Amino acid sequence: MRQAGAYSGIHCGGISGKMGPHPLPLARIKKIMKRSGSGDEVKMISAEAPIAFAKACEFFIEEITKRSWVMATQSKRRTLLKDDVASALIATDVFDFLITLVSHSASPAITTTTNLMSMDS
Amino acid sequence: MEGSEKAGGSWSSSSSCWAWTNNNNNGSSSSEVDQMLLPIANVGRIMKQILPENAKVSKEAKETMQECVSEFISFVTGEASDKCRKERRKTLNADDICSALTKLGFDDYALPLHTYLHRDRLHFTFDP
Repeated sequence: MRQAGAYSGIHCGGISGKMGPHPLPLARIKKIMKRSGSGDEVKMISAEAPIAFAKACEFFIEEITKRSWVMATQSKRRTLLKDDVASALIATDVFDFLITLVSHSASPAITTTTNLMSMDS
Repeated sequence: MEGSEKAGGSWSSSSSCWAWTNNNNNGSSSSEVDQMLLPIANVGRIMKQILPENAKVSKEAKETMQECVSEFISFVTGEASDKCRKERRKTLNADDICSALTKLGFDDYALPLHTYLHRDRLHFTFDP
């Protein structure tokens, strides 16, 4: 029996469940990867690359969610809010590349902190 | 469906690679301005799975997370793509992503990811 290609089973719901259904859509991940080219475009992407990203994105979402939850708990809330996510990003160096995503619409408290941090003393 | 024309190109695949062909090179269209996001339902599900059962997640928080994930993919892909270019390789592969993750400070992800990928490669190769 011919073995299915890398994606055919996944998109159809499972090559006997080897890969299992993916929590994130591989085709969409590929499109985002394609968009990321600044000068030279990403021309060819191996079949495994979006699979790797699907997993990496899970880790990423989990880490930020956990850190955001700490913020929410400190405010004695059980609902995770956008400000909790913003606070978690600001508090963690590795997420510096995301600061611009949250700083333009952050709450005044967070914006103030960011402004203070960038002020010359 | 008009999607591929709007995007300015199309995908084609061989057994191991996907290749993108541009229809034109001007690169500017409304679809480029729209940010490409992963579905909010999928993102929200992953968030809820890691939280306690009584936890709730606001819609805004999920939307923010969607944007962060897209930015993450772009950021890491850019780094991986640079590596391919320097090494004169045309195809970006999973190992490039693992290296990029380590280089950008996400080394906590790189080892579990590597393990996950190799376990699955094994299934493809040896499962009858």
